[in-house]
Formats: sequence, C-alpha cells, structure tokens
Amino acid sequence: MSDQALSDAANTVAGQLQHKIDQRQLDVPMLPEVASKVVTLSQDPESDAAKLAQLIQSDQALAGHVMHIANSAAYTPNASLVSLQQAITRLGMNLISDIALAASISAKMFKAPGYESHINYIWRHALATALWGKEIARVCRRNVEATFLCGLLHSIGRPVTIQCLLELAKKNDTELTEQDMQLLEEKYHTPVGIAVAQRWQMPQIVCESIEFFHAYENANLAREQTTMINGGAAFATHLLKPEVLGAAALGELPVLADLNLYDDEIATLMDKKDDIKSTMEAMLGR
Amino acid sequence: MSYDFDLVVIGSGPAGQKAAVQGAKAGKKVAIVERDKVLGGACVHRGTIPSKTLRENALRVKNMRANAALANFQLAEDTEMVTLINRLDQVLLAHDQYMRKQIDRNNITRIHGRAKFIDSHTLEIARVRDADYCIKAQNIIIATGSFPRKPDNIAVDHEYIFDSDSVLSMLYLPRSLTVLGGGVIASEYASIFQALGVKVTMIDKYPRPLGFLDQDLTDKFVHAFESMGGTWLGEHNVVSAEFDGLAGVITRCDNGLEIKSEKLLCAAGRIANVKDLAIENAGLSLSDRGLIPVDNNLRTSVANIFAAGDVIGPPSLASTSMEQGRRATCNAIGIIMGRIASTIPSGIYAIPELSAVGLTEQQARDKHGEVIVGKANFEEIARGQISDIQDGMLKLICAPDGKELLGVSIVGEGATELIHIGQMALLSQSPVDIFVESIFNFPTLAEAYRVAALSVIGQREQRGKG
Repeated sequence: MSDQALSDAANTVAGQLQHKIDQRQLDVPMLPEVASKVVTLSQDPESDAAKLAQLIQSDQALAGHVMHIANSAAYTPNASLVSLQQAITRLGMNLISDIALAASISAKMFKAPGYESHINYIWRHALATALWGKEIARVCRRNVEATFLCGLLHSIGRPVTIQCLLELAKKNDTELTEQDMQLLEEKYHTPVGIAVAQRWQMPQIVCESIEFFHAYENANLAREQTTMINGGAAFATHLLKPEVLGAAALGELPVLADLNLYDDEIATLMDKKDDIKSTMEAMLGR
Repeated sequence: MSYDFDLVVIGSGPAGQKAAVQGAKAGKKVAIVERDKVLGGACVHRGTIPSKTLRENALRVKNMRANAALANFQLAEDTEMVTLINRLDQVLLAHDQYMRKQIDRNNITRIHGRAKFIDSHTLEIARVRDADYCIKAQNIIIATGSFPRKPDNIAVDHEYIFDSDSVLSMLYLPRSLTVLGGGVIASEYASIFQALGVKVTMIDKYPRPLGFLDQDLTDKFVHAFESMGGTWLGEHNVVSAEFDGLAGVITRCDNGLEIKSEKLLCAAGRIANVKDLAIENAGLSLSDRGLIPVDNNLRTSVANIFAAGDVIGPPSLASTSMEQGRRATCNAIGIIMGRIASTIPSGIYAIPELSAVGLTEQQARDKHGEVIVGKANFEEIARGQISDIQDGMLKLICAPDGKELLGVSIVGEGATELIHIGQMALLSQSPVDIFVESIFNFPTLAEAYRVAALSVIGQREQRGKG
C-alpha cells in the first residue's frame, strides 16, 4: 500500500526497504570489532583493566582518541595522564568503556553523502541522551549502569535508515526529496534500529529500549530504562537545540511527569547542563 | 475555619494507608497525599516487599545448591537482578490494585503530589503535571516514612555504592559486595546476597550484628552467614568507602584494613523523611535524633498534627506502623483506644530468619534476676532434620518461678511465623506449661516450643528441689 505523502520513487524505495527488513536482509554496518569487544568486555565479570587497556591499544587511532579525551579538561584538568593503564585507573573501567564505545561507534561509520551533518547531529544527540540518561537514573535511584549504552544506541536506526535509503535510491537510479527522506526516516528508524541491535548482538535491554523508545509505557523488561532514555533524549534536545525545546516546554513534557520528577528535581538536573556539555564535547574529541 | 478535609494523611506506606482507611471508616472526609505515582511507599516499592521477593529466590538458589545430588545447579555468573526478582511486578501490581481498591471503596481522596506545610492546618501540594494548590485539614497525620542515612565519608552514587533504597536497581548480581552496618537491613541483604553466591563482607563498629537480640541468637546467625561463605567483621570502624576508579569499591578501616569489592551497600540506618515538608511552618521541629517527637497518643507538639511509622523512629516495623497509623487517626478523631500492645514481635528476614517477642534473655535478667531459659535446637527436632534446617533455635524466657512466660526468641527458617504461637501465649498470659499440655503436629518446627518448655519445667523442678 502506498503512502500518499511520499513521492512515487519514495514509495518504491520504502517497499524495498520494508522487504529487506522483513527478510532480515538489511545492510547493517559492521560493528567495529573493537566496539564489539568493548561491549563484551564490559559485560564480562572476569574482565579487568589490563584486558581493556590491551584491547584499546590494539587500535592505535582509538587509543590516541581515548587518551586525548581522558586528558581533556572535562576529565583531567591538568592533562597528566601518560598511559592508558593510568587513564583507566584514574577514570575507571566503565567510563573508559563508555569513551571507547562512543569513539568507535560514531557518525563516521556511515556513508550518506549529503546527510553528514544530519547524522552528526543524530550522533551528538545520542551521546547527550546517554549522558543525561545516567543523571536521570541517579536522581530516580534506578539502574545507572546500562543507561549509557541504551542512550547511545536508542537512535541507531536513523543513520542506518538514511544510508539504506540512499543506497536503494541509487540502485533504482532515482532521487528522494528531503521530505521523502524525513518521512521515511521517521517511519523506519525503529524497526531498522531493532534489526541493527539484534545483528550487533546487543543485550536485550538495549533492543527493548530501541523498540519502545517512542512508547515507553509498552516496554516490558526495560520499561524504566526506556522511560529514562526518553527523558534523557528530551534533555539532550534542550541542550543541543534550545530553540526547538525550551526549558519551560521541557518541564511540561509528560515523560518527566511519568518519571515523577518534581520541579526542583528538574532544576537540579538542569544544573548539570554545563558538565554534560563539556563531557560530551570531550567524548567527541573536541 | 472551614476545612477541605477532616483528615489528611501524608504518605501512603503502611502507617498512612491504615490511618486513612480508619478515618474513612469512621465517616470522616479523608485525603491521602503520596509523592510517588504508586501507592505503598518505600515498604512496598523499595524495601520490604522487593527484598522479600529477592529473599525467596535466594532461598531457592541456596536449597538447589544444597541439593546438588538432585539437580546439578549453578547460578550463572552474570545473572541479572531482574531474573532474581522475577515475580516482583506481579506482587507490586497486585498490591497496588488492592490498595487502590481499598482507598476508592472507602471514598478516600487520592492526591498525587508532594505536601508542604504552610501552617498547622494548610498544606501546599506540589504536582508533577499541574499547578500547585493548597488544601486545608482539621487534622493531619504525617506518615512520610524514612530514607537512608548517608554518612559523610561514604560517596553513595547508586552506581558502585548503593543505599538500601537503590541496591535492588543493580543490573547484575555482583561478584562481591561489602555491606556497611549490622542492623536489620544490613543483616537481611548481606545474608540474602551471600545465599545467592555473592562474596559478602559485612562490617560494623559493634562486636556483633543485630545487637538488640541475645548473643546466642546472633551467634547462630553469624555462623550461618559464615557457613555460606560470608565474612563478618565486627568492631571495625570504616573511615571511607569510595569507587577505586577501576572496577570496584575500596573500603578503608581505621586499623589499616582495606576491603575491595565490586559493589557496596551502605546500610547505616534510616532517618525521618521530612525534607520537603517544611514542618517548621506548622510549628514542629525534629528531635536530636532527627525524628518527629510524639506522645503516647502519637500526637506531636501541635495539637491537630499526629505522626506514625518510621518518621517517629523505632521499632520501624511495617506491622507496628500499620497499628500506629490506625491509632493516630483514632486519637485524632476522638475514638477511645487502649494502650498499644507492648508485645510487638520483631521479624528479621535474613537467611536464616530471626524473630523475637516480649523480653530478650538479657532484658529479662536485668529486670527479673535469675530467670529460667529453655532452649530447643532445630537439629533436635524431627522437622529440622528432615528439612535440613541448620542453625535453628527456639528459646523460651521465663520468670524465676519457671511458670510465667516473659519472652520468646527464635532463629531459623520459619521464625517469623513460629513466633506468633509464643506471642499468643504471652498475650493470654498462659504459663509455659501450655506448650507441654498442648499437642503440636508432628513433625513440625512448632514442636520446638514443647521441647523448650520441657527444658524450662525440668529446670523449675530442679530449682524446687534445691
């Protein structure tokens, strides 16, 4: 069945994309080997700092990036870290895992000519969501540990959808309008995100937080996590695009009420804005 | 002055809920204010019920391990907490629905919001969705419970270092856990996590945990805890506990001892939850111990304001809080009541359970001198052997005449249920002989009452001959 708002070309591409999703033939970008290993290591109760350092050192570019971030003002104001082992000791294994993950799964993974800045924004927003999610979890006294990964990957379906749409359009020798792209990104990013998380063998809690991000009340295993991520995403939008979501509008969002956050608690969270911004910029290597 | 309500209860935990229902049943116009979306307070959502749900599974795990010949059982190292509290959602849902129905049935107005005193009759209600507003009440009952005390030297972050409200939010069962404290909450969680196979170290400044119970009971508890693989470190002063920046927590004691663990639970007591109430606006203040002082009628220093439950301090038991809530309402609206029962049983849901009612042996000796104590070890009871209940003991504490029952203390599985037999004997002032003259089912743990009573009677006869 065709979608009236879409161009004919977009309807054709949408059909092909749906077919790929149904047939589990989606072209999912490879999870960088090092990121996959970081996820495995961070979930392995037997892992230790030495193993993590060894892993990061196996990727020279990543090691340099992690050291650069670890020495940034957000983490180590006097830039005194000289080795990865020392950085892990100082900053902690979980934080280094977060930094390594954010650095290895990044906007650069995607090939979407013309959409680089859009994907860049999606990625910055995801990172901010992950960081805000952690702070919300702390205030709500819910699990803090898994929030970063869930937040970082909650919108992974968006860049993958964009990339797939562009590839399909090229294959069909057609072009999609900006409106087509927007509508299709909205329509497909959730099923595509689930497919990516499953292909990457992410924990169930991550898959569920992607699946139910827009309807967190329907989540089962990860209902709290998904609600916190949804709230985190709202704070992220406010941080990155205050003109789209101002402080007053943010405070009125139903998700904050569903998290049972009172005005003073929202104000306490808002006080963390500068910290989160500098942490985010540091993680992006700026 | 006109009021919106005859009675407003702040908090919907065990005390608040019973207070509101009692008021409504007496025909009063009642409102209950709850800051969370769900009813029940910390008891239902963060403490008592979730931890007991976890305990049930810990017991199953322990039993499966103990019966390795029947099933080759091993708990996966990366077991998720959610699988260990698997029935919690159903339990909480059932509880929430039951409470909602009870509150609706009794026409109690439910207010989702955070209360703040404007004066002794007026409360401002802050809400998460809508604008704040005020309500006026003739009588107000504060039943806001308690929250974990946070010592200055412990950096609770709810990620590596938890308090008793956040400990169950851990995603995975940790490999090791340090528990700071030796009270009820510390003992319960330490033994539950140890039974699940976590390497637990329990540290406290006192020589033994649960110091309000007799030493022979707590010795059995410590023995059971250490038999499971736990470590008890009494008389240790913790100087600091912090995330080591690597993958765990370092706890430092003043004697130089350092303990490393993956996670830490700080169970350093609980304090009255009054931080958002602005009680000073109503003319109230906290005691030196951070509690709301009340008289025997649960009335505060302001005539129309009462308080019940954890917010007034010990015994801080859900069972007692419920009765305090009910009584606070009765006193507020002029229903005459007798004194609250002094024979309140205490139940500690550790592994094994502990429970006591009436006087402890130490209290009885201090008060009555040469009391007679009869004990029954569960390994001497047929049911104890059949069920492989180790470290179990029932103790009857009698007056020097060997007849009057003064108290009952029990350690061992089933203690919190078994105690009620002793409680009824105490309340009916039955002589200890009732346990011998009665016939108990065989084999049962209740038979321990008979064995302990025979011991008392034997000692009584010996003393008579002397």
